[in-house]
Amino acid sequence: MSRPPRIWMSSATPAQGEVVRVRAQMQHVMESGFRLDWNGAPLERNLLTRFEARLNETLLIEWEPGPSISQNPYVEFAFAARESGTLRMLWLDDQGMRLEAEREILVAPA
Amino acid sequence: MTSSSEPDRRRILLGAAGAALGAALPLSGARAQELATTAEAQPDSAEADRIAAEFLGGVAPQASGLKLEAPETADNPAAVPLHVVVTEPLAEDLWCEELIVIAERNPLPLACRYRFSAATGAAEVALRVRLIQSMEIRALARLSDGRVLEARAAVESGVGGCGM
Repeated sequence: MSRPPRIWMSSATPAQGEVVRVRAQMQHVMESGFRLDWNGAPLERNLLTRFEARLNETLLIEWEPGPSISQNPYVEFAFAARESGTLRMLWLDDQGMRLEAEREILVAPA
Repeated sequence: MTSSSEPDRRRILLGAAGAALGAALPLSGARAQELATTAEAQPDSAEADRIAAEFLGGVAPQASGLKLEAPETADNPAAVPLHVVVTEPLAEDLWCEELIVIAERNPLPLACRYRFSAATGAAEVALRVRLIQSMEIRALARLSDGRVLEARAAVESGVGGCGM
């Protein structure tokens, strides 16, 4: 469950203002709470509840997934690189899981 | 993978195959579905309309400036790839504040919500959703100047992906 997410970034050394694309996929069951086990008892809901990405402290994107999101949630987003720093990504779920990942961004001087 | 775990693995795989076969048989299909999940498709788009109206807050949506890409046919309804991008030119003083994706007929149609900031400098996302049946997908994006952009796409789906 807490295997590190797979992350791809279009560039770690973008030009000033270049749009950087990030793709990340993590392992998660995304149990909807609708499914029943073999005895007909509902399986406890366990969804990813939040993803966020920040460049240093600046929020770039936050995502609130619902039960319609597929297992092993895939998130792709883009942002304009305006400063160097650490891209911090965070995943939270219904059962207290907390997964973090970081990537360094070095904006090439103009 | 050790050989001692092999029997367990095989039993699990056989069980899964059995369940898949059971769901595929026409006579037992409805019953198997009933046992497997309590998820029910929305009978119409009323709930989706309500979510959209709440997001719109009285603003009339603009039918351009937002692109929603979805496959015409869902090869795998448990993971339907969607791509949403605000094509309206964004600037330092014009950004996308919030974006929602609605899967009209899913049990809970609000698939997800994104929020961006002025610092993001782009509004483009991709995601994968599970769809319980064929339906229309909607994306709505609110810009910082108050405009709301809307895009729709219809996806044909054979079997439901919500029991996954």
